Amino acid sequence: MSMKKILVSTALLAGVLSYAGGFRVSLQGVKQLAMAHTSAHAEDASVAFFNPAGMSFIPSKLSIVAGGFGASNKVTFQNLNTLQSTETDNPMGTPIYAAIAYKPIDKLSIGFSFTTPFGSTIQYPYDWEGKEMVQKLELKSFYFQPMVSVKMADWLSFGASYIYAKGQVNWDKAVTQFGGMVNINDEKASGHGYGFGFYFRPDPKFDMSIAYRSPVDMKAKKGTATFTVPAQNTVNGLLGLNSAGQDGFTATLPLVEEYTIGMTYKVTPKWLISADFNYHGWERYSRLTLDFANAPIGNQADPTILVAPKNFRNSKTFRLGTQYMFNEMVFGRLGAYYDESPYTDENFIPETPSFDSFVVTGGLGFKFKQFGVDVAGGYVMPQSRDVNNSYLGFYGQAKAKAFYVGLGLSYNPF
Amino acid sequence: MKKIIISTLAVSALFFTTSCETDFDTDVKDIAVTKGEADFSKFISLGNSLTSGYRDGALYSGGQNESFPSMIAMQMKLAGGGDFKQPLMPNNVGGFTNLPGFPGKLELKMVNGALSPVASNPAAALDNVISGAPYQNMGVPGAKVSHLLAPGYGNPAGLSLGLANPYFVRFASSTTASVVGDALAQNPTFVSLWIGNNDVLGYATTGGDGTNPITPVDGAVGVGFTSTYTALVSTVFPAGTTRKGVVANIPNVTNVPFFTRVPAMPLTNLTTAQVTQLNGGYAAYNAGLAQAKALGAINDAEYQKRLIKFTAGAVANGAVITDKDLATVPGLPKYRQTTSKDYILLTASTVLTPQAGGGTSVPLEDKLVLTEMEAAKVLAATASYNTTIKNLADSKGLAFVDMNAKMTELNSKSGISWDGVRYTATFVTGGAFSLDGVHLTGRGYAIVANEFIKAINMKYKSTLPQVDPNKYSGVTFP
Repeated sequence: MSMKKILVSTALLAGVLSYAGGFRVSLQGVKQLAMAHTSAHAEDASVAFFNPAGMSFIPSKLSIVAGGFGASNKVTFQNLNTLQSTETDNPMGTPIYAAIAYKPIDKLSIGFSFTTPFGSTIQYPYDWEGKEMVQKLELKSFYFQPMVSVKMADWLSFGASYIYAKGQVNWDKAVTQFGGMVNINDEKASGHGYGFGFYFRPDPKFDMSIAYRSPVDMKAKKGTATFTVPAQNTVNGLLGLNSAGQDGFTATLPLVEEYTIGMTYKVTPKWLISADFNYHGWERYSRLTLDFANAPIGNQADPTILVAPKNFRNSKTFRLGTQYMFNEMVFGRLGAYYDESPYTDENFIPETPSFDSFVVTGGLGFKFKQFGVDVAGGYVMPQSRDVNNSYLGFYGQAKAKAFYVGLGLSYNPF
Repeated sequence: MKKIIISTLAVSALFFTTSCETDFDTDVKDIAVTKGEADFSKFISLGNSLTSGYRDGALYSGGQNESFPSMIAMQMKLAGGGDFKQPLMPNNVGGFTNLPGFPGKLELKMVNGALSPVASNPAAALDNVISGAPYQNMGVPGAKVSHLLAPGYGNPAGLSLGLANPYFVRFASSTTASVVGDALAQNPTFVSLWIGNNDVLGYATTGGDGTNPITPVDGAVGVGFTSTYTALVSTVFPAGTTRKGVVANIPNVTNVPFFTRVPAMPLTNLTTAQVTQLNGGYAAYNAGLAQAKALGAINDAEYQKRLIKFTAGAVANGAVITDKDLATVPGLPKYRQTTSKDYILLTASTVLTPQAGGGTSVPLEDKLVLTEMEAAKVLAATASYNTTIKNLADSKGLAFVDMNAKMTELNSKSGISWDGVRYTATFVTGGAFSLDGVHLTGRGYAIVANEFIKAINMKYKSTLPQVDPNKYSGVTFP
């Protein structure tokens, strides 16, 4: 079994979900999560996703990491006009990551990172009042990033990565006009991108990480929309569907760019403090365009093109974390961050519910010679919000609850 | 060291608690539905077909079960409302086998490869359901304002004379009963009244052909709209009554698909050969017009208006119609082509085909077109009726529903969105109008019910919840 196969099949088991920043799931390092998912930590290969340049400052020549999370959430929507209340029944999301970094020579590091940085699984009761918008939506993404980093000076490195992304969308929604539903599906969306960054250590006590990860336009080129309705033959005829009730579609979902600046300061040899600032380019997700092959269910001059406004806006995340080394083997970590929702109340959409969120995190790390084991947890406090989407006629209030747990392993043999 | 940690934690704790509002201020599960200043214990709904739940060109049980008053009554039950009984038809098809002109409901069927509304056969003879009386939904399809006051409107003997209405015959308490009389005998605490549509609609849906005139604005009770409507409202809400209620105004007929489905200039992509043939066919008529103009019988404006001329290609051509309002010229028929300001009725669809030649070789009859001039009369009457309705609502202190505004919104490009479903006034695909193009679907009636509920809540400070239109039925596809 090839490496890629293993990664892909592992990935297929993974569901992922989001609460705050649109459908970006900031769970790519267990150690990092324990410290509010801050980035300037070059102890092992888990820095690879955050900043390829960080690889140059990993103490060991070879470093391998892997980890996974359990992420649980529940969203509640209430409609003040109808006095209906709906709770989601989302499955536990399991974002995962793995990375390897190796220094063939002192000045050069090569590495590979696998992550699931974007995704969402939201599951409403199939007969809820917003069923025409979404009953269930699964979005998944898998980032495969080969990367390289060059140590330009003792205190400075530059790294870059190429991103190959695979994605899946599986979206059930009701078509109440025909008393049925439609499934919008593509298992083989893909896209490309890149990332680069600088990592600075001007002083043994001070690390700084500056990184950029480009947007990836996930292109669904061979999507399938399957209509399941009582008057199947008639609807097949009306919408130009095949005998299985299917039509093809193409669409592009942007996985947006991210700018990160992070710093870590060792207050004492045993105690460090980290801070991060992320800027997410959600403006790129201004609309979702579904271009059907035949079905005239659009809203444009070309009746097969359906454009749904999304009007996301750029968002920010502020992170603050700390680590205390109790002894050579045990580390304690705490963190807190604030993550902005990428849209206003007027643009709230139930398929990717999003909230301004405070998150507190914590965790422990254990070192046994070359091996490391990290555990982390996060408790999310999403801010309840009003829902005023006049385009959809979707009004009410939404709130959510969420938590994360994570287990990470690292191996730094030499 | 410890101090630093503690103060860091304290700062972050502060940072976190400042605006951390994770729960709802009020959970909807804790909201009590209240009646406010109203009393919903005996709710009666007065009106016409729109109140009865009529749709798809018929009254049938499935439609009645989604009437807008039944939806309101369901919400009123949450705030002390009583039972709401409807005079259900004996079947889900409707129509009367023993009365001419009462077919069963329209159904979408595949006709020559295209979906078309087709009337079903009526399912049963006129029945009588008085044994189940009293009924709280007293919407009587076809009723005009004066009919609600008319004694004997439910007398079977009056049916053949056109003095009675079979739908009221079904549940009238006696041969001399009036709709209003039977309603008030139940001593309702709350009444909805949406009436007056048929006072213009009958004229409009017959293309103003004279068989069903517009109710004049002026005139005595039973003749003019203003006095009759005033008398009706004063009967239901006499001075000093504690009875509460809600009234709705009349939508402009030009917002409903019966008048907008067929384009005003419906003939496009004619071939050169067709145009040559058609223009040839009307050459004699055009020559007659030229002669009449030369003789001074008609002026140039009338001449230009009546000239028949078809153009080939992607040009929209008006349909040839018979317009009785054109000047009489001996020996010349009253033909002209429609302009963008005329309304060709939905009923013309079947003749606007190359086979039937409607609008081309065969001029459309008067009853199939609401001309610009006729439409202006309808709109003027509607505007006057609506002034009367609003004034009475205000003077009687009743809740008021601007249904005309809501239907105009429905007929706009953006329509009315509800939880991701976009309703418009587009025929069939718009979701709100039933197959007759005038009456609503269950989903459309739910939009209406919500307007009533909002108006009631606003006037009487009640908190009736709205209904979810998406849960009700729309057009059924075969």
